[in-house]
Amino acid sequence: MQINRTKKDNALTLALVGRLDTTTAPELEAVVKAELDGVQNLTFDLSDLEYISSAGLRVLLSAQKKMNQQGQMTVTNCSEEILEIFEITGFSDILNIQ
Amino acid sequence: MSLIEIKNLRKEYSDAVPLQDVNLNVEEGEIISIIGPSGTGKSTLLRCINRLETPTSGSIQVDGANVCDAGTDLASVRRKMGMVFQSFNLFGHKTAVENVMMPQQDLLGTSAKDAYAEAMEQLRRVGLESKARKFPHELSGGQKQRVAIARALAMHPKIMLFDEPTSALDPTMVSEVTSVIRDLAGTGLTMLIVTHEMRLARDVSTRVLFMSDGGICEEGTPDAIFHHPESEKTREFVFRIRSFTYSFTNEEHDLYELLAGVESFCTRQMLGGKAANKCRLVTEELAVSYLVPAVEREKGKSLSFCLRAAEEGGEITIEIDHSALLQDPFSANINAVSQALLKRNVQRIHDTPQGIAKFQLL
Repeated sequence: MQINRTKKDNALTLALVGRLDTTTAPELEAVVKAELDGVQNLTFDLSDLEYISSAGLRVLLSAQKKMNQQGQMTVTNCSEEILEIFEITGFSDILNIQ
Repeated sequence: MSLIEIKNLRKEYSDAVPLQDVNLNVEEGEIISIIGPSGTGKSTLLRCINRLETPTSGSIQVDGANVCDAGTDLASVRRKMGMVFQSFNLFGHKTAVENVMMPQQDLLGTSAKDAYAEAMEQLRRVGLESKARKFPHELSGGQKQRVAIARALAMHPKIMLFDEPTSALDPTMVSEVTSVIRDLAGTGLTMLIVTHEMRLARDVSTRVLFMSDGGICEEGTPDAIFHHPESEKTREFVFRIRSFTYSFTNEEHDLYELLAGVESFCTRQMLGGKAANKCRLVTEELAVSYLVPAVEREKGKSLSFCLRAAEEGGEITIEIDHSALLQDPFSANINAVSQALLKRNVQRIHDTPQGIAKFQLL
């Protein structure tokens, strides 16, 4: 998986490319831990995310919890398949999906 | 008279007998796929037909000439046969077009101008006209194999012999080579294809030979071999190639390897993106939630995971043999997210022997 970072003032966009699974989730977790200080607007751009599993969902959830304390988080450009995963797991009620 | 007639063919080495007693007639225009486990003489059979191997006994007539006869002009018989190998065998210091020109000039005495025109025509046929001036190291594996096919075709053979033409390729490149073979199948060329690509064998062949233990164990139409095999060995083989097995032990389980194996299996079975993602998701959730914790709880014990796909978009099942474990891995409580993903994508089939859990993908 590739994580493309774009930071402007206190807004950070993380564009995820490829698969967010058990083997790649720790990489995203490390980025989230290292980069969220001072961020008030966090966007996950999922236009090129092909696959997400529970391990990936857990990282999104921990990012959401952190952003609840310091600003807002948005998830954008989800494919139908990823949206279905959010629906099944109830994440569509937790995340701000646009 | 058949184009190829093989009678009582036997090939012995000091330590093995890859061909025991093979009898086969090939008619003009037939497309024959030869399948079977490794080491059962499939490639040896092809190599005997064009006499890259010398048979121990028996006879092989190709277009009326006995290639086993010392008096036969082997060069002229070989010119009727094009052969494509697993490992491309291109000359690294020559460009694609030069590789295709060379045998025409060396063996047929064709002028450079005519050989060039023919080479470009054949490269066009395999979709590589634009790569004519590239050297092999500048081409992908699939492209190299297509150049090798163009090189064989440029000799205008009556028979094409393919010896596992996709075995050395990355899974993503297999389809570009099989597409070229499919196109050739429509031209009336006689072809013998040793392959592990069952979809290719099923789709292009007029006849499929299943080889086992140095002989032709069963032959028939693709439908007969793949859907109604008569012999137990054929059944076992056809079934096995549609499955992927992985063993979990406490010391050795590697989720990268498991997921890569599932991915490569899905590619081989040509499962669509959605079905492949579902296989991956269910495998990952089962592994992370149940299987890895189970083998970590019971040191020294193992369990096996088997993913199976029926033909033509049929059912996909997962069978987990946990009979060696004391505790049922599926009695564990797992997190709600994994549970929701599994519930939506997979159904447990309860009518299975003790120690075996079977799931069907929804």
